[in-house]
Amino acid sequence: MRHHAIDVFLRFSAEVTGFKIVELRGTGESGEYLGTLDRIVGPDVVDELLSAYAELQPREEAEREQLLRRQIFGNEKLGPIARNIIKLWYVGIWYQLPRNWRERWGVREADVTFTVSPNAYTEGLLWPAIGANPAGARAPGYGSWALPPEIPQV
Amino acid sequence: MAATDIQTIDCLKDYLYRAMQLEHATIPAYLSAMYSIHPQTNSDAYHILRVVVVEEMLHLTIAANLMNAVGGKPDLTRADFVPEFPTYLPDGEKDFQVSLQCFSPSALDTFLKIERPGLAPDANTRRIPRRSRGTAKLAACPEDEELEFYSIGDFYQEIERGFEHLYRVHGAALFSGDPKRQITSEYYYSGGGELRPVVCMESARAAIGLITGQGEGDGGGIYDAERELAHFYRFEQLKLGKYYEPGDVPHDPKGPPCQVDWTAVYPTYTNPRLEKFDASSELYEYARDFNRDYAEFLALVTEAFNGKPQLLLDAVPKMFRLRNGAMQLMRNPLPASKASADSAAAGQPDGPANAAPTFEVAEFAR
Amino acid sequence: MRFPSQAAKKTQLEAACQHTYDVVIVGAGVAGAIIGNELSRAGKRVLMVEAGLGEDITVKGYEEYLQRFYATAVKDNQSPYPVNPNAPMPRGTTVRPVAPGQPETSGYIVQTGPFISDTTYTRVLGGTSMHWEAKTPRMLPEDFEMASRFGRAADWPISYDELEPFYRQAEREIGVSADVEDQRYLDLRFPDDYVFPMRGLPLSYLDRMVDKGIRGTEVEIDGERYPLKVRPYPQGRNGIPNSEYDGGKGYVPVGAVSTHQVEEGERCQGNNNCVPICPVQAKYHAGKTLAKALQTERLELLTQAVASKVHVDPETGRVSHIEVKYYEDPDEPHFVTGNIRGQLFVLSAGAIETARLLLASNLPSTSGLVGRNLMDHAYLLNWALLPEVAGTMRGTNATGGIVDLRGGSFRRSQAAFSVDIHNDGWGWAVGSPYTDLLNLVDDHNQFGAQLRRDLAQRISSQLLLAFMVEVLPNPSNRVTVDPAYTDALGNMRPVVSFSVPDYTMRGVAYARRFAQTVFQRLGARDYTFYDPTDYGYIHYEGDGYIIRGGNHLAGTHIMGTDKHTSVVNSDQRSWDHQNLYLVGGGSMPSIGTANVTLTLSALCFKTAQAMLEELR
Ligand SMILES: Cc1cc2nc3c(=O)[nH]c(=O)nc-3n(C[C@H](O)[C@H](O)[C@H](O)COP(=O)(O)OP(=O)(O)OC[C@H]3O[C@@H](n4cnc5c(N)ncnc54)[C@H](O)[C@@H]3O)c2cc1C
Ligand code: SF4
Repeated sequence: MRHHAIDVFLRFSAEVTGFKIVELRGTGESGEYLGTLDRIVGPDVVDELLSAYAELQPREEAEREQLLRRQIFGNEKLGPIARNIIKLWYVGIWYQLPRNWRERWGVREADVTFTVSPNAYTEGLLWPAIGANPAGARAPGYGSWALPPEIPQV
Repeated sequence: MAATDIQTIDCLKDYLYRAMQLEHATIPAYLSAMYSIHPQTNSDAYHILRVVVVEEMLHLTIAANLMNAVGGKPDLTRADFVPEFPTYLPDGEKDFQVSLQCFSPSALDTFLKIERPGLAPDANTRRIPRRSRGTAKLAACPEDEELEFYSIGDFYQEIERGFEHLYRVHGAALFSGDPKRQITSEYYYSGGGELRPVVCMESARAAIGLITGQGEGDGGGIYDAERELAHFYRFEQLKLGKYYEPGDVPHDPKGPPCQVDWTAVYPTYTNPRLEKFDASSELYEYARDFNRDYAEFLALVTEAFNGKPQLLLDAVPKMFRLRNGAMQLMRNPLPASKASADSAAAGQPDGPANAAPTFEVAEFAR
Repeated sequence: MRFPSQAAKKTQLEAACQHTYDVVIVGAGVAGAIIGNELSRAGKRVLMVEAGLGEDITVKGYEEYLQRFYATAVKDNQSPYPVNPNAPMPRGTTVRPVAPGQPETSGYIVQTGPFISDTTYTRVLGGTSMHWEAKTPRMLPEDFEMASRFGRAADWPISYDELEPFYRQAEREIGVSADVEDQRYLDLRFPDDYVFPMRGLPLSYLDRMVDKGIRGTEVEIDGERYPLKVRPYPQGRNGIPNSEYDGGKGYVPVGAVSTHQVEEGERCQGNNNCVPICPVQAKYHAGKTLAKALQTERLELLTQAVASKVHVDPETGRVSHIEVKYYEDPDEPHFVTGNIRGQLFVLSAGAIETARLLLASNLPSTSGLVGRNLMDHAYLLNWALLPEVAGTMRGTNATGGIVDLRGGSFRRSQAAFSVDIHNDGWGWAVGSPYTDLLNLVDDHNQFGAQLRRDLAQRISSQLLLAFMVEVLPNPSNRVTVDPAYTDALGNMRPVVSFSVPDYTMRGVAYARRFAQTVFQRLGARDYTFYDPTDYGYIHYEGDGYIIRGGNHLAGTHIMGTDKHTSVVNSDQRSWDHQNLYLVGGGSMPSIGTANVTLTLSALCFKTAQAMLEELR
């Protein structure tokens, strides 16, 4: 397990998903997701992303958002991976990288669209974000659907 | 019929409060084990724990019905309602305490002890002197702190005797409670037995019979009166690796295999307390939020038990929320700094431990 | 509910071939299970032949379905169920548009068009009930009299009132949750003291918002006015038992079934996953009825056995035996053949498979109607965003809908419909919520807190109205077989040709206008878009629509009053083969606007009664 990497990965993930680190760890998937990234795009590219992020650390929030866009989301190599990280946390699915990314930085064999694990699906953060539960898991209980949704304010 | 210590209705109410405390006390322990199981693994164990928890809640509700029947006021928000873990239960041998811990062989052994069948051989031994002191206790004989019951079954037998006695004294007036306060299946439904209103002696007897039968089996058999496997034998299936089938005799199940994977469990800190968390951390906030949610849950249930049964329907989603909160905690490592001092202590998992709900509600008491 | 553990041991082919059973049933779906249960409880020896695997007989096996579902990235209707080339099933994701003159062969059903449907059914123990949604409305009294009232299709050989007691039996078996006050509309009649086994499930918050917006408003068709409101659907899933049921005896819900005792599924928990699989078995599935039948120890279950040919004695016209192909491994085309004998035979393989089996057996048919008059509801989807957050994505798939246009004089000229409010948002139409996430992240470039807010706003206010539009029987909509198309075991695959009748399309066109009206009243933003390249796209009177398959297959062996115009009588007995019963949706001569299962179950109770008479 890459201990330092996981810390930065969690900090990055918390910022781009809008969830707290406790909540990210609370999915039980943090190691799994970092492992998925390592396996698919390789630790070098992952580290490149994480160090790019680490460099942004001590800034004001407004400035950080702009920097995140310029240096990471708008980076031709790192952007698609950053977006995929958001999707991983939200629905547990690794989406195949865009064609132009694969053409430019090489096709990775494992880079196909798939659900990381059954648990990755049930622990997706999309559901709590919308005050619902993943279909078929983490049931909210009889009659709960009649009440107004509880969507956490962020 | 042996004599009873329950000579007054107030004394009966005290006993019934203890009964509610007792039914509740096992729930955090079962939940701690159940939620520590990795999702989608240990299906056999998860289902067994789930059934037992649901039935404990049913028992709690029945105890509240008994309390309401005699004009009492169920209160799950009293400062002493939730015990401090580890805690003793009134088992005569006093050989175990109930802990909040992850699903493990030692947790299973505790559960077997909690649900262990066994009525005391005769009236004189059904209460035995308390040996250990200084620990939290439950279901002690309310009017005599020095005595405790030999088993949960004995405790309920005493309650039943009390009911019989007071019924002889007061007749139908014993059941002075407002029947509208009774919780029925309409508001709390579980497969574990029908919830009928307690309004007379007969329904009181049936209610008590349901609680004791589900725990320990009916008259020494493995099934209760509703043909459901008693809790003890359900747990024993995990221990023996086989399911019981109708016709089986105790301790010798002959059904399909029942499997356990002890490794597919989050290793949580045993008997966690908020003081083990770093008070400035996010994790601490979440652990405290859980406790607040739990306190609110108990308050809501109390309201439901006091004339607003329909509120139990709202309690269900709250319950599921507690589950999510508990599981979140159990996947977060509990930073070593505070916890490490105890990590070598008995009962803690090997290696680093995860956080877990502490069930400390005192600070949120109304 | 417990399956006796010997049931898990399953009957072997060799053993089964040595008996002559009282009754042989092909297909362990809800239709077969009801008949099997009724007859075995009455003391008859029954063999149930099932093409699929029997995996779900334990809770663990059932949970494997669930795992498979969690683990796939494309969660379509069939995703929980194992791919089984020996008993294949249609799957929505494999459907493609058809090129003119060329059949669509990529899915299990060969489709010659012109309409290409994504309709499905499931071939596992329990059949399609494993993944049905479990809405259980009754048909309207007027649905049984389509010809005499509206000059359309044919009347049923039995009336609503004759079927009514069997509806009650079906509601008991399936365990229907509903409040009878809500269900008395459009002349739906119940005995005065009737209550459903369980109380109705509460309407979702979303339903209530829609109801608030439309209640008290009306629409006018054909000179008649129809007031609008949202009404709860009766549902085949566990709610709160009604203590007044059965003259005050109450009702005990049936939870999860397994070979060992589990308590789960006593009440729906709102997993919003009834289709394709209820994780806790709060939803009825045929395994619950099968478990009861197996407890009699007079019903034997032969799984992994595909009925391949029905043999008839040419002299008596009676079925002598059924040939089955028994396979060990779903991935190996190897099989052994056996002949199953009995006094009475029941085909309950679903409307398409039953017809396919009869046609593949090349049996004579006086009416020539086997496989013809295939029906399925036509679904038209309309989707919009409500002006405020409505908590979409919670509850059962659909708790309520607008059902007041299920009946009325307009049915002389255009199809009726019922409207489901989908608690799962735009999922069916455009793949929400996944597509919303991709759109916000990849196209709107959102992340962090803003992404969370946008997601909540966008998904939680989704409203999808699914119109289930009536389809009448038409002999040219049909199932056939063709030796050019076979499955791994060499059984001929079904070949379906289907066109959506104009009568239905008139209803569809009106449905679209109706949706627009509702959206206007709600102040909802209409996002409905019908892509002309979609396989379900249909052009009608200048406008285009996408029609989706309804999964309510019916009509391939319709019932009637004589052997020249129908395949079975009102007991679902074949006119041509005295000891053969063809049961299920296939017997229905029209389907109105009711999801078919409750009605086909009621018919099966009637059939079971007739069969018992016959065996006496
Ligand atoms: C997504 C979806 C949602 C639905 N929602 C609803 C709803 O809300 N309400 C409603 O009323 N209906 C609904 N339906 C329809 C409902 O599921 C069916 O009407 C019902 O399950 C049909 O039952 P059946 O027993 O007639 O056939 P099936 O359930 O199809 O059973 C047929 C059985 O026969 C077996 N079989 C097939 N061929 C052979 C063979 N050759 N040999 C041996 N065995 C064979 C199959 O494996 C299967 O077990 C829905 C269907 C789908 C797909
Ligand atoms: S909403 Fe959930 S629990 Fe209820 S029937 Fe559907 S899948 Fe089952």
